[in-house]
Amino acid sequence: MTLTDAPPTAQPEWLSTGKKAAPAVVRWAVAILCALAAFSVIIVFKGASPLEVFGDMWVSTFVRPRSLVEILNTMAPIALAALAVVVPARAGMSNVGGEGQLIVGAIAAAGVALATDQFLPGETVMVLMLLAGIVGGAAWAAIAGMLRLVFQVNEAVSTLLLNFVALDLLLFLIYQPWREDPSGQPTSRELVDTAKLPEISGLGIGIGIVIAVVAAIAVFFVLKYTRWGFKLSVVGGNAEAARRAGLHVPVLILSALLVGGALAGIAGMIQFAGIEYKLRAGFGLQIGYIGFLASWLARHRPLPVLLASFVFAALAVAGDSLQLDAQLPAATVSILTAFILIAVLGFTQKKGAAL
Amino acid sequence: MNLIIDVLTAGVRGGTSILYAGLGETISERAGVINLGTEGSMLLGALAAYMVAADTGNPWLGVLVGGLLGAMLSLLHALLVVWRGANQFASGLTMLFLALGLTSLFGAAYVGRTITPFEVWAIPVLSDIPFIGPIFFEQNALVYLSYLAVPAVWFLLFRTKWGLLIRTAGERSDALTVNGYHVKRVRIAAVTAGGFLAGVGGAQLSIAYTNSWFENMVAGRGFIAVALVIFASWSPIKVMGGAYLFGAALALGPALQARGVGINQFALHVIPFVLTLVVLAVLGRRTISAAPAELKRVFENGPPTT
Repeated sequence: MTLTDAPPTAQPEWLSTGKKAAPAVVRWAVAILCALAAFSVIIVFKGASPLEVFGDMWVSTFVRPRSLVEILNTMAPIALAALAVVVPARAGMSNVGGEGQLIVGAIAAAGVALATDQFLPGETVMVLMLLAGIVGGAAWAAIAGMLRLVFQVNEAVSTLLLNFVALDLLLFLIYQPWREDPSGQPTSRELVDTAKLPEISGLGIGIGIVIAVVAAIAVFFVLKYTRWGFKLSVVGGNAEAARRAGLHVPVLILSALLVGGALAGIAGMIQFAGIEYKLRAGFGLQIGYIGFLASWLARHRPLPVLLASFVFAALAVAGDSLQLDAQLPAATVSILTAFILIAVLGFTQKKGAAL
Repeated sequence: MNLIIDVLTAGVRGGTSILYAGLGETISERAGVINLGTEGSMLLGALAAYMVAADTGNPWLGVLVGGLLGAMLSLLHALLVVWRGANQFASGLTMLFLALGLTSLFGAAYVGRTITPFEVWAIPVLSDIPFIGPIFFEQNALVYLSYLAVPAVWFLLFRTKWGLLIRTAGERSDALTVNGYHVKRVRIAAVTAGGFLAGVGGAQLSIAYTNSWFENMVAGRGFIAVALVIFASWSPIKVMGGAYLFGAALALGPALQARGVGINQFALHVIPFVLTLVVLAVLGRRTISAAPAELKRVFENGPPTT
C-alpha cells in the first residue's frame, strides 16, 4: 500500500476479470500448488525424491496418531505469538518483537519457578509462572512502547533489536547464574514435575492449546466489542483523526503494545512450562517470527490466526519428521513455508490490503 | 594499547560484513524499501561463497556468486513488495526463512570443509603508520574493497543520475512518474543492487572472517545492518563508522577473554544492540526528519506519537 505508483488506478483488465473468475479458494489452491512445485524442484536438485518427502510429511502430519497431538502442542505458542502481533497491528503498529517478548516471558516464568517450585504446590507455581510470563512479556514490549512515545523510535526497529537483547539475556543466564551443570550443556534446571503444565486427561494434548484458543476468542471479542478495541482501530485508521476526536493516543499505543507483549509472554511461559521445561540455547527459536508471519497470513484477524498457526505448526512437525525419516535437515521445511508465503504474497494479496 | 589495537583491528575485520550489508540496505532504503531479507541475503551469500571457494579454490569467484545469490533473493523481495504491494516486514522475514531453509539443506555437506580464504595482506608503507596502520591496513582484500565501496556508494547516490532516481523514488516518487520514469523499476533495481552488497557481506563473513561455514552463521548481522542504516541516517559514510563500532563491540568479548578477564561473553555481545537502541533514542527526532519520505510512510503506517 505504501508503494503503489501514483494514484491507485484500476487493476489491469486481465487481473480484475481473473479475480471475478477465480474465487479465493481457487487462488489459494493455485498458490499452494505452486509452492509445492517449487519445493519439489529444490528437493530434486538436492537429489532426493519429492514424492518420498511429501509422503513422509503426509504420514507424519496426518496419519500418525501422535501427530495431531504434536501439532496442537506446537501450535499453542505460535498462536499466542501471532496474537501478540494482532493487537498492536489493530492500532497500526508492527510488533516484530514477539521473539524477544516470548523469551523474556519464559525467563520470568523460569525465574519464578526456580525460586518456588520446590516448596510451593504445583498449581500455585503454575499461576505464578503465568503471571510472571505476562509481566515479563509486557515489560519487554513496554521498552519499545516507551522508546516510541518518548523518543519516537519506530517500534518495528526497536522490537527487532530487543529480540537480540533478550536472546543475549537468556544465554547469559543459562551460561552462568542459572546453569545447572557447569560441565554439561548450558541449560537451567528442569522444572519439577508437579509444576509442569497438565495435559487434557488421556489425550496428551497440553493445556497450552486451550489457553491459546481462549486467548484468541478473548482478543476477538475485545477488539470487536469493547470501546478499547474500537479506539485502537480508530488510532490504526487515522491517528490524527483519533487525536482530534479526543482519544488519548499515547495511552492506546502503549496499552496495545503491552497487551501484545503479555500475549507473547504467555507463549513463552507455555513453551517453558508445557513443552521444554528448561531454558536452553535454542529455546523457543523463531516462534516469534513465525507468529508474525501467521498473524500477517491471517491479515491480523484473531480467529483466522488459529488456522494460520495450525498450518505453521503442522509444517514444523513435518520438518522434524523429515529429519528422522528422510535425513534432510529439519530446517528444510522452512523452504516450503517460505514458498507458501511467497505464493500467498504474490497471488492472493489484495491490492491495497497490505498493511 | 595492544588491547585497543586488537579490538579495533578485529572490529574492522568483523564489521566489514555489516558494512557491506549496511551499504546495500542504504541503497534500498534510499529508494523507500526496507529489506529485512538482508539477513537472508547475507546467509545465502555466505554459503554460496563458501561452496564456490571450497569447490573451485577461487575465493573471488565465491564473492561474485555470493553477491549474485544475495541479489536474487532481494530481487524476490523487491518483486513481492514493489510489484505485489506485500507487507515489507512480512516479505523480509519470509526471505529469511527461505534462506535459512536453503542454506541448511545445501550447507550441511560443507560444514567442516576447508577453503582457501582471503589472506591478510599488509599494505606496504600505510601499514607502518602507528596505530592506524595495523587497524586499517593489515587486513584482507575484501576489507580493502569495502574502503572503495563506501565512497562508490556515496558517489552513486549523490553524484549520478542513477542516484538521483533512487533518492527521488524514496522522497518524491510522484516526481519520477511525472517525468516519465518507472518508480517500480527504480525501486526493484535499488533493492536488488542492495542485495548484491548484502551477499558480498555474507561472503566476507564466511570466506574472509570466520573461514568456515555453519548453520545460521550470520546470527543477526543483517538485522543489525538494517538498524544501523537508520542510526546512520542513510549516509554511507556514517554506516561505515557504525559498522566498525559494531564490529569492535563484538570483538571486545573474545579479546578480553583471551587476556584472561573473566567476563560473560553475552554481557558484551549485547552491547551493540543496546548501543543502537540508545543512539536511535538520542537521535530520535533528528533521524526521523532525515528519513526518506516514502520510507517514513512504511514506518508510520502507525500513528504519529503526539
